[in-house]
Amino acid sequence: MTAALDISELSFRYPTAEPNSPATVSVRALRLNPGEQALLVGGSGSGKSTLLQLIAGLLDPTSGRVEVDGQDVHALRGPARDRFRGRRIGMIFQTFNLLHGFSTIENVMAALMFSAVPPREHRARAAALLTELGLDRHEAMADRLSVGQQQRVAVARALACEPALVLADEPTASLDPENAATAMDLIQSACRRHGAALLCTSHDPAMRARFERIEMLADLRAERGVGAAGGGAEAARSIGGAGSGA
Amino acid sequence: MALTDFAIIRRSMSARLFSTVTTVLTVAVAVALLLVLLSMRDSGRRAFERGGGNIHLLVSADSDPLTAILNGVFYARPPRAPLSWAQYRAIAEGYPLDFAVPIAQGDSFRGFPVVGTTEEMFARVTPLPDRGWEFASGAPFTGDFEVVLGSSAARGTGLGVGAEVVVTHGTPQSKAAMEAAREHGEFKFKVVGVLRPTGTSHDRAVFTSLQSLWIIHAQDRLEQGGGSGPRLATAADLIESDRKITGIYVRVATRPGQNATALLPAVFDGLRKQGGFTVAQPKQEIDRLFAIVGNIDQVLVAMAGAVMVSSGIAIMLALYNSMEQRRRQIAVLRVLGASQGRVFGLVMTESALLGLIGAAAGVVLASVAILVVAGVMRERLGLVIDGTLPVNTALPVAALTIALAAMAGLVPAVLAYRTSVSHGLRPIG
Repeated sequence: MTAALDISELSFRYPTAEPNSPATVSVRALRLNPGEQALLVGGSGSGKSTLLQLIAGLLDPTSGRVEVDGQDVHALRGPARDRFRGRRIGMIFQTFNLLHGFSTIENVMAALMFSAVPPREHRARAAALLTELGLDRHEAMADRLSVGQQQRVAVARALACEPALVLADEPTASLDPENAATAMDLIQSACRRHGAALLCTSHDPAMRARFERIEMLADLRAERGVGAAGGGAEAARSIGGAGSGA
Repeated sequence: MALTDFAIIRRSMSARLFSTVTTVLTVAVAVALLLVLLSMRDSGRRAFERGGGNIHLLVSADSDPLTAILNGVFYARPPRAPLSWAQYRAIAEGYPLDFAVPIAQGDSFRGFPVVGTTEEMFARVTPLPDRGWEFASGAPFTGDFEVVLGSSAARGTGLGVGAEVVVTHGTPQSKAAMEAAREHGEFKFKVVGVLRPTGTSHDRAVFTSLQSLWIIHAQDRLEQGGGSGPRLATAADLIESDRKITGIYVRVATRPGQNATALLPAVFDGLRKQGGFTVAQPKQEIDRLFAIVGNIDQVLVAMAGAVMVSSGIAIMLALYNSMEQRRRQIAVLRVLGASQGRVFGLVMTESALLGLIGAAAGVVLASVAILVVAGVMRERLGLVIDGTLPVNTALPVAALTIALAAMAGLVPAVLAYRTSVSHGLRPIG
């Protein structure tokens, strides 16, 4: 079975870092099966966001390999990598990062702009997704929506291209516990319905109860050779991070 | 309908509406300025060069040849000094000429210059080098107190064949002066012909017979002398001092179908040596005029070019300043799958679009400005120039503007290209 995410011997160090300093991100191995959901736990500045950007191909690793849906992300160059990211990886952010000045449906259609979906199907597909996520104000400007509604738009946008993998970077960090729970219900159920694997980062211990598989960052650096923690099915996984850039 | 790059650009521009509008206006003003200058330079020169028609020489009592041409051919101002009929006869009969057509200026009708002349004006003189007079209605005058209206004069007064005209003494330069000016109301002129447009200063003229003008001035003389009483002056009352003209259109004898003649220098020199008047060659004087204004004109075009470059800088600044606000939008688009090249293209297209809209607005602005300037030049200089913007001037300037705008977008586009996604997506606050 092709993994949704397969990381091996990944290491990243900022070009400006001291030569002998520890890597900002170091992951010996991590594998997520299609539809699998995992929580990546670590403190602020531990390298969680940097790892997600490495997986999305927005940063190039110092060494190692990241495969998404069977494709070595960093073997792709320039527009081919961008196209792959747009089509196979969805991203959800803490502050949603919706496009201001654009309507709700346009925010979702923005994701489809770079997909292989024929343009004539974009509107209908975006509308169906928004309706599925409980949003009927499709033409309302995104910045006029409530926080909860904006979160739904962000989820719809991440899932618009039917990605193999959704990366959620601290999606509940700015929400109160009640809204955080609602948001996570939404993200997790939507990913399940669409068959997308989910890798979610958080430094909130309360999130652990929502995931069967939890990956700790603090003591899982590849250099130390520390093995897995948490209850995941795959044996070969260890994730660690330190330094800046998260 | 799908979201397109163009929609993203449009939203980006409307999100910064004030900046977009002021940038477009800056470009539009620069384009309009350049277009007006280029177009006026070309059509002005063309109008001057063709305005002499088939005349080789102008004989006038004006003090210098350029003034003589501007007044006598382009009806800028009425010539200040007259020529006598005896001088005219001596010239007409003393040289090998195709024609010597006398003209008398000074009076006006509703601001349009009245030109006294002979029927030869329509038979021998042509308003353009390659085109004769054409009548929209009616025919040339054949008797006294008949007038032929140039096309602009007809349009400006709203008169046609059969209408009555009363000539005003002198050529008042203001509305107040026009109201105070004395009308020769006792003599009614009748419109017998309306000319088709020629694109020359003759379009503004109101042509009538020389004798008609002499008679109304004889009336003045008689009234001042107290000798006329209730009777109107007639041709029988004319004395030699009434028979004044202000210029003579001269064409030296040529072979049929030819304009140049070897006799011209000899006739020109002969007339000049004769003295008592000024002899001017329209072409030579127009060349002289443009040699004088040519440098100024180049400086103006250079200044318009500089304004154009500064409008390009305005585009660059507007986009450059917007980059900080757009950092997040660019980062989001990159995450969604937009390549660096596409983001670069979005900014470049936006820049070129600002140039395109500015150029289009500039062309509209220039079209209006050219109409206004053409009207002013017609009023003030008697120069009839084409009031339309030539496509072969507008298109290259518009293309240049868009290219310049695209170049101005280069720096902001490179910034967008290099926008760090991680930096752009960092949570606010």
